[in-house]
Amino acid sequence: MKALWIAVSDLRRMFRARANIFFVFVFPMLLILVLGATFGGSGSARLGVVSTGSGPLGTALVRQLQRTPHLQVVPVTGAAALLTQVERGNVEAGIVIPPGYDRAVRAGHPAVVRYLARPDQSSQQLGETVRGAVARQAALLGAARFAVAERSAPSFDAALARAKQVSPRLPAVSVTETTAGTALFPSSLGQFAEGAWSQLLLFLFLIALTGAAAIIETRRLGVARRMLSTPTSPGTVIAGETLGRVLIACVQALVIILGSALFFGVRWGQPAGVAAVVILYACAGAGAGILVGTVFRNEQQAAGISLLLGLGLGALGGCMVPLEIFPPTMRRIAHLTPQAWGNDAFAKLVGHGASITGILPQLGALALFAAALLSLAAWRLRRVLVA
Amino acid sequence: MRATLLICAKDLKTRLRDRSAVLIGIVVPLGLALIFNSIFGGISGNSKAIALGVVNADRGAASARFVSGVLGAVGRTGLIAIHVEPTAARARALAAAGTLDAVIIIPAGFSARVASQRPAEMQVIGNVDAPISTEIARSIAGSYAAGLNRVRLSVATVLAAGGGHAAGPPGRIQALAARAAAAAAPVAMADVSANSRQLDQKSFFAAGMAVFFLFFTVQFGVTSLLEERNDGTLARLVAAPISRVSIIAGKLLTSFMLGLISMFVLVVATTVLFHASWGNPVGVTVLVVSAILAATGIMALIATFAKNSEQAANWQSVVAVILGLLGGTFFPVSLAPGILSRLTYAAPQAWFMRGLGDLRGGSLSVVWVPALAMLGFAAVTSGIALTRLRHMTEV
Repeated sequence: MKALWIAVSDLRRMFRARANIFFVFVFPMLLILVLGATFGGSGSARLGVVSTGSGPLGTALVRQLQRTPHLQVVPVTGAAALLTQVERGNVEAGIVIPPGYDRAVRAGHPAVVRYLARPDQSSQQLGETVRGAVARQAALLGAARFAVAERSAPSFDAALARAKQVSPRLPAVSVTETTAGTALFPSSLGQFAEGAWSQLLLFLFLIALTGAAAIIETRRLGVARRMLSTPTSPGTVIAGETLGRVLIACVQALVIILGSALFFGVRWGQPAGVAAVVILYACAGAGAGILVGTVFRNEQQAAGISLLLGLGLGALGGCMVPLEIFPPTMRRIAHLTPQAWGNDAFAKLVGHGASITGILPQLGALALFAAALLSLAAWRLRRVLVA
Repeated sequence: MRATLLICAKDLKTRLRDRSAVLIGIVVPLGLALIFNSIFGGISGNSKAIALGVVNADRGAASARFVSGVLGAVGRTGLIAIHVEPTAARARALAAAGTLDAVIIIPAGFSARVASQRPAEMQVIGNVDAPISTEIARSIAGSYAAGLNRVRLSVATVLAAGGGHAAGPPGRIQALAARAAAAAAPVAMADVSANSRQLDQKSFFAAGMAVFFLFFTVQFGVTSLLEERNDGTLARLVAAPISRVSIIAGKLLTSFMLGLISMFVLVVATTVLFHASWGNPVGVTVLVVSAILAATGIMALIATFAKNSEQAANWQSVVAVILGLLGGTFFPVSLAPGILSRLTYAAPQAWFMRGLGDLRGGSLSVVWVPALAMLGFAAVTSGIALTRLRHMTEV
């Protein structure tokens, strides 16, 4: 019971500082928003398109590009601006449909659209997609022009109208498309989900680590000494401090999970599974934070190290780039971090709708981390507090 | 002037001795850049050839033209690696496993159907997690199909003029088809190569971490004015025959010098340790100095609103983190759609990163716009900060 009071007072101490509220709740949510908006559902390549003055046929080509799956057309005002956008990487590549494109096609002159690409592969590869869209347009335009050249149509417009009319009834050469394999994440996942669970794991651990500074403060201000002078056993103080850090992490997780569900529509999956992952992960984080707090004496140094550890382990554990695209050796090394097991668990829970029984190996690994870190932390804390 | 330098020298000595500034200014950013680089270095982002399988179950004229002609040319670009597979089943398995990004299958009888003007079909099977590569494969097959369709449609459009039934003398269709096939394509595509003004991965992490932590490093200078006020040493400084401006200038100079030392060490260390390429030294110097001034100005301004150094540090961290996120120091936010990408202009970090990227692909003159933008931040914020700091030193 006393331990619980110590824990609650830790919680209150934490949130008395407004800045902490920002870093614990607001900033992770902000990151989930920005990450989702920037990369979420990014199964599309961005193509910058300049079509000023290209006439109705130019507009038709733009529409053809817009209809192309997995291609996102970004209108750009001029060729110079397009070049900058391509070079800066804001768009993957660009296409300029020149002014007078419409006139040239109608008159039977060669019309040339320019494709702007950077030297990198993905920028160049996209050229094939654009070439495909141009070829589809060219089939209609070519037929119309051929009819004019053969003197079977009075004008280009009449020929084009006829080609459009004939086209649907024509036995055509077509291309069908199917996909193979199991998707990493189903398309129903939504653009914020992956960012939400990876940032949740990143920030739970990061904030738990900065708890190290709180432990140092407790020592420096003599809070621990005063607690021990009352009829409170060291075990109770240690349990209270640990519980405090776990409690902070759980409150943080609850707010981020509910917030991302409410604001960004993230469906977190089975509550029991999510709770199990969060609690075990929070215990591991609390253990790591307390451990760091017993090793360093200076709060600012502990904060610096926590930042390095928290972001470093987060990067290694797949909180910044999904583990699934790590090379195999790197992926094995990554699983030395609790973050990797947490990410695996959420990928199953949120990504594939698994229940708690489907993530037992991940929960087992997290429990091992939690047990090891907590016992190490308790042992160290007893030494520094009682000494 | 002398007093300013003395204050700065004393502050620098204290900061370097207590190691916090060294940790935040050098150790943490360098460590993170190293970590990110070694973890993400093995993950190829933009530079991978697409693995495209092809199964030719047809072996007729039209399919041969596609496989050796079209795919042969595509393969020679080096952008797409063509793998000939014996059976559709095997190719599908490879696509499912992700070994191949996509497969194009030409079924038996394709060429005969093309020759006899019947509907014909090519199949594309794409790996489910490679949608863009699959679309590229579909487009390659689609371009070839569109070429065949153009000839068919050309003939049909001419014939439709006669009401659709009068094919005319025998052999007319063949003659028309031959002429249509010979006609030049109405639209051609010309490739224009653009430079890259993007930082490579190593340099991106080095620059991103350096400028992100710069906004924390400069805090140690200005915030110490608040510490001195709380500790009572400020009153003693003011009582000494030193002008207030000298005191303030000393603190600002400390910020600037801390920033300069940290950035210098980081540029040199990342270049030596993992060959980050920052670009033209003159351009980099201009950008770095502008960024330090902007960081000093903004952090000083925030400090003037705080009651004590702890509160100042909290607010400064919040602003530094938000600006760092918007500034694209962790990932390029400029890729975000709409308003979010425009918001990046509000962060000096974004100008810094953009400046370095532009420097990569252009001449030295490109640094002036980002440098002036950052100096603008510096001028406005330090101007307001200075007037407020003078009030603060009135004891």
